[in-house]
Amino acid sequence: MNFFLSYVILAEIFAIMALSTNFLVGVIGIFSVSQAALMGVGAYAYAVAAMAGLPFPVALLLALVLCAILNVLTSLPSLRLAGDYFVVTSFGIQLVATAVFINWSDVTGGVSGIAGIPAPSFFGVSTEEPRNFIVVTTLALIAAATGYALLMRSSYGRVLHAIRLDELAVVAAGRNVLRLKLGISAVSGAYAGLGGALYAIFLSFIDPSSFEIHVSVLILTMLVVGGARTLSGSIIGPFILLSIPQFMALVSLPPTMVGPARSLAYGVLLVAFMLLRPQGIAGRRL
Amino acid sequence: MLLLQLLVDGAVSGCAVGVVAITFAYVYATTGVFHVAHAGLFTLGGYIAWWLSGQGLPFPLALMGAVAVGAAVGAVMQKAIYETLMKRRASPLVQLIASLGLLAILQNLVALLFTPNMLQFEAVSWRLSMLDIGPIHLSLPQIWTLASSLAILAGLVLFSTRTILGKRIRAVSSNRALAEITRLRPFDVYVVVVAIASGLVAVPSVFIGVDQAMQPYTSVLVLLTAVIAVIAGGIGSLPGAFIISVVLAVLQNLVLALMPGRWSIAFTFMLFIVFILIKPTGLFQTRLKRAS
Repeated sequence: MNFFLSYVILAEIFAIMALSTNFLVGVIGIFSVSQAALMGVGAYAYAVAAMAGLPFPVALLLALVLCAILNVLTSLPSLRLAGDYFVVTSFGIQLVATAVFINWSDVTGGVSGIAGIPAPSFFGVSTEEPRNFIVVTTLALIAAATGYALLMRSSYGRVLHAIRLDELAVVAAGRNVLRLKLGISAVSGAYAGLGGALYAIFLSFIDPSSFEIHVSVLILTMLVVGGARTLSGSIIGPFILLSIPQFMALVSLPPTMVGPARSLAYGVLLVAFMLLRPQGIAGRRL
Repeated sequence: MLLLQLLVDGAVSGCAVGVVAITFAYVYATTGVFHVAHAGLFTLGGYIAWWLSGQGLPFPLALMGAVAVGAAVGAVMQKAIYETLMKRRASPLVQLIASLGLLAILQNLVALLFTPNMLQFEAVSWRLSMLDIGPIHLSLPQIWTLASSLAILAGLVLFSTRTILGKRIRAVSSNRALAEITRLRPFDVYVVVVAIASGLVAVPSVFIGVDQAMQPYTSVLVLLTAVIAVIAGGIGSLPGAFIISVVLAVLQNLVLALMPGRWSIAFTFMLFIVFILIKPTGLFQTRLKRAS
């Protein structure tokens, strides 16, 4: 039972991450491979704040705001230029973030990471048990999904779709495209911060390997498999992708080979979906 | 003297990065695909040569084998994946995601077939030979890296300006529609271009592998530095990208004197940010094609 609960909790956390990616890749159509880096920033920010004794809402808010600001600041230079500059920026952010997580050991604990991250209590009930924590992640996912749906229906969301379809037309209509893009990258960053903070609470232990480039590729694969630009796609994807390791456990692989075998499967899925079904299972055309 | 040694070491690894940069730029300028899987081909080359030399093949043959395998894999990739996507008018984003998928496939296939850990060219006897030129120590593999990279740069520039095939490639990359009218088949040209780039990128991979060691996942870092050099040098200029690669690697090595090497990626990325803030068009060329 606990095993199944953990699976659902992780899938819900990654659904929030997939939504965060969806804003960039699905809605405005810019590539991102740095989602795990932001998730890591959120996780570390929450962990450090919570370990310092800050109450849950403050620590969570701190993680969200920090991720939003960081995402805006790092993507600002390349968003001015658009196109392939952002690809380089995205790879760069991911690699630099991993270097920071590993090497800024005073704050991040270096390779050994941070252990014993406290779980919050609500109305006297601790969320340390998965069956309690699943309430938190489910509520968070509902909030995130509602936010996504409302945002996409608002006039702001419609302009964002217009950017993907014809950026020049949006400029011609007198909209400030850069400001719109920065706005959505702040939202995307905050979502990633939320995902990261929940991840840190759930595992109560974080280390740099949880936020490496492979994880970014995994999150992108979730979005691609589930389908871009729809709410259902972002939720289906994580549930499918996180079940792959369970199937792989049936084949006995040496422990060092498990990671590469998984990543290989993600790569095959990415290529296959781009070739055969770029809209994913329940999404729209990329 | 330490500074001089760092400078020379930086220039040598810069030449290797330079080959990655010019081959990436060659593919990018012609096909328009942001070919991140190029890093996967870099990884593949070193391991193929390692395996072949481990089978008792003499080193030059192992190197040639790596180049041939790289070229073949590149050609298949272009023909089977990119061409299908291009004919379907897939967006650049879709091509990029497919390329990322190919990168994951190549790197992890290498990790599964060989090992995800560090690997050294035990079978190559001369990998530890040193040469002293005045106060500078150079290993034999370093000298080969330098010589082969410069030869590849000169060869690629001459090929693209002097030979018929090279001129055809430039025709396709500068105006695809016009080239098609004059009975050039762009898709055939693309296969040739990706094959050439994928074969050549195996060379620095092998020599760097012999000199230091190999690990399947480090190539992303190499490619990132190379792509930064391509953007800073200007997409259309092969020597520009090569020169900037060397400058970047030398700077990376010189800051080693000031801060620990584990921060060098942060330093390179910072340079990139500063660069695109000040001069996004590149030093030697015009603005990125699709970035308008």
